[in-house]
Parts: sequence; C-alpha cells; structure tokens
Amino acid sequence: MSEGFLSSWVLFGTTYTVGILAAATLAQVGVWVVAREQIFLGAAVAQASALGVAIALLAGPLLGLPGDGLEGEVAPALLAVAASVLTAWVAGQPPRHAGTTAEARTGWIFLAATSVPVLLLAHRPHGLEEIERLMFSTLLAAAPLDRVWFALLAVAGAVCTARFGPALLLSAVDPDSAAAAGLNPARWRLLNALWLGCAVGLAMRAAGTLFTFGCLVLPALVASGLTREVRTLVWVAPAIAIVASFAGFWLGHAADWPPAHATIALLCAALPATWLLRRPV
Amino acid sequence: MINACDLVLGYERSAVISGIHLTVRPGDRWFLIGPNGSGKSTFLRAVLGLLPPLSGTLRLDPDLADRSGLGFVPQRCEWTATLPSTVREFVSLGFVGLDRSAAERTEGITWALERVGIEGLARSSYIALSGGQRQRALVARALVRRPRLLILDEPTEELDVASESALLETLLELNRDDGTTILFVTHELELAARHATHVAVFADGRVTCGTRNEQLDPDTLEGAFGKRVSLFGAAPGDPR
Repeated sequence: MSEGFLSSWVLFGTTYTVGILAAATLAQVGVWVVAREQIFLGAAVAQASALGVAIALLAGPLLGLPGDGLEGEVAPALLAVAASVLTAWVAGQPPRHAGTTAEARTGWIFLAATSVPVLLLAHRPHGLEEIERLMFSTLLAAAPLDRVWFALLAVAGAVCTARFGPALLLSAVDPDSAAAAGLNPARWRLLNALWLGCAVGLAMRAAGTLFTFGCLVLPALVASGLTREVRTLVWVAPAIAIVASFAGFWLGHAADWPPAHATIALLCAALPATWLLRRPV
Repeated sequence: MINACDLVLGYERSAVISGIHLTVRPGDRWFLIGPNGSGKSTFLRAVLGLLPPLSGTLRLDPDLADRSGLGFVPQRCEWTATLPSTVREFVSLGFVGLDRSAAERTEGITWALERVGIEGLARSSYIALSGGQRQRALVARALVRRPRLLILDEPTEELDVASESALLETLLELNRDDGTTILFVTHELELAARHATHVAVFADGRVTCGTRNEQLDPDTLEGAFGKRVSLFGAAPGDPR
C-alpha cells in the first residue's frame, strides 16, 4: 500500500507537495488566528478569495486576459490573494461604529463572499464548476509554481515567528499593552492581514475552502492540547499540519478518498483526542 | 516625568476632557478618580501615546516617550482558553519592544515574579490562575521592564478584598523601595484616600489636580461630582 502511494508521487507529486506546503503555511499563520479568537475570520477570508476568483473569471475575458494555461492562472490567483488580504485587513480593524462588532462584520463578509460569486458566475460557461471546485477542495488545481509560492511563504512565516513571536502574541491577545510597549497597532494589523491573506488566497486557489479553513485552524487547536507554551505551539502546529496532510494523502490514496477531505477528517479526529489529554483547568 | 499643560483630549475632534494641568514627579502616587466615562482612560491613552492631544501640550521624559521606562497594567487580559501558556511565558511578554539578553530576561522574570509574590507559580498554566493571581501576573509582566512609571487601569475592578489589599501592598512596596512612580486609575475614592500622594478628579469634562488632602476634601469632591460624596460605603459603580 505504501509502495503504491510512493509510486503515485510520479503523477501527483506536485499536488502532494503543494498540499503539504500549503498545510504548513496555513498552520503557521493559523496560530495567530486562534490566538485572536478569530477562527470564523479564517472561513470568511477563504470565502472572500473565492469572490476574487469569481471577479477574475468574470472580468478576464472583458479585459482580454488569457483564460487557460499558466497565464490563465495568474489573474485569479492575484485577485484571490488581493481579496483575502483586503478582507483580513478590513476585518482586523477595530469597530468604529456603535452596534457593529467584529463578529457581525466577519459573518457579513462570509455570507456576502459565499453568495455573490455564485451570482456573478451563474451565467458564465464553467463558472459554477469553478466555484464548486473551490468549495469541494480537490487539490488537483495545484500548479508547479504554487510550490515556490508556498515554500517562500513558509520560510517567511518561520522567520516572522522566530523573530517576532512574542510581539505577535502580545498584539494578538492584548493590543493595548502591545501599543503601550511601543508597537504600532496599524503596522501589526497590516502584517497580519498580508500574511493571512497571502496564505489563504493562494491556498484557496490551489486547495479549496475545506482544506484551507481546516488547515488554518485545526493544527493550531490540536497543538494547543499538546503543548504548554505558545513558543512551542507555533512550531508544533505546522509540524502537525505536515504529518496530517502526508497521512491524509496516503489514506486518500489507499481508500480512494479525496485527499483534502481525508486530511481534514484526520485532524478533526485528533482534536477531541487532545481535549481528553488536556488536564482540566 | 509627565507634564500636561492646558491639555485637551478627545476623539475625532470632539473633546472628551479639557483643561488638564498636571505634573507627575518621581516617586509620586497619583490616583485618577471619577465616574465611568469621565475621561480617565482617555487621559491614560494619551500618556501611553495611543491618543494625540487635540490641543495643549503633554511632555514625557524621554524614557517614557519611547516606552522603555514605562510599564502598563490593563484592567484585564483576554487570554483565550485555547492558547496554552505558563505564567513565566506570559510575564516574558513584558519584554516586547526591549532589547534584552536571555540572561537578563531570566533574571528579570524571576525578580518580577518574586516582587509580586507568585514565584512558585512560574510553571503553572496562566489560564488556571485565580483572578487575583492573574492580576499579579499582569503587574509582573509590566515590572520586567523595570519601569520608572507604572500605569494601572482599574486593576482592582474584579478583585476580592484580600486580592485588592495584597496588590496595593505590592504597589506601595515598589513605590517605597524602588521609587517607582504610580499612576492608578480607579473610581474607588476609598483607595485614593488610603494610598495616594496626589489625586486627579475627573468629572464633567474637566480635571482638578492636587495633593490627596486638597482633592479629597468633601467640598472639593462636591464641586467635582455635583453632590455630596462619601469616601466610604458608596454603591458599586458610583465614585466611592
């Protein structure tokens, strides 16, 4: 069975490596999403990138952009990342109007970004197929170039974590104290939005909603049950994402299941197990 | 350390509080009192550099302006239960923005934990601490910076009497032994009457400042709050 999986790398090597790198990248930034108690924001940002893809597919022919091949991937990927970064940045702003909460704003973004792409592409040839592919998480759309993007993001994420871990943590859990310590709140919100938006936007295009959202939050939640400090958690979460995605792809191959779904199901199974391991407070 | 002259503070050009004249000197224990919404936290945000003045001047010593000599204790820290952390790691967050060696950090954390009396909890989970212990951890987090000025925003708000008393005792020791200047926001007049050297009374968009005896004079308080205020036994939420 293992031999069959390893031999499938000839055919699916790009898909597997992109999936593993995407999972690790998402888990790195997911730690800070969980730290800020903005888990639902991850789903909203992922959906927003679907809106970016829909806009690219709608506007591409009008602007004369190529519709297929490597060039055809660029505009949807760029707009997916742009929509994710913008959403993460807007959702990260402190509420300025009475009666508005961050949670309400996130819910609005999620619902708008889920419904509008379907309307935009309802009458386009293959439009709804593309949206369904994003929702279904096939991982088959992973392109060789995605390996480079995710590898760069993973290295940048590791550098950010090692260099700015305590500052990221303080600005996530206690923004006022972070500002009092001399951190610029707007600059840190922008860094967070760029990191989250790039990771989610690229992952959505390559792996779809389920895999993106699942790998964003589940590894961090699983790791939180296995570690005693955040400084360990930030490295254990990506490691869990790598192991889970590898195991999920193997399981998917062995049982002829969709690999993204197998990965997320494994992570979902691991989470309650860590709850049992955790000592009661 | 801090000098405010005819300071006007507010949000989006709308003044919340005006006419602030205040000078904080080393070793002072300033208590900022007043009802909710009177502008105490607005003033605090200005001192912390989070809110630019609408007019007037607010001068801070250089080590306070660059935050290296300043420690801040918020009312509470919203720490999600899904995030594991030990007390030691939580306190180490006080070093954010400072350049310290690993040895200096270790020494600073040990000193701060001893100072607030929770050195035995260093390896405990932060989330498992009681309210009083968490407040002490917050003070320790501010103390690792070895601040000349310690700013506390209603730190006793959710504490029981014993925890409140222990926290105040720690602050008085810091003030007495290390010369740490204290800026303490509260709406409990009783605390100010017991522990302040100076008091700033915030009410009706104005601030009156002076020594404790001047400011806590019943006639002065009546002028500030528009009614006779008792220093003891007031209802919760009212200035006590």
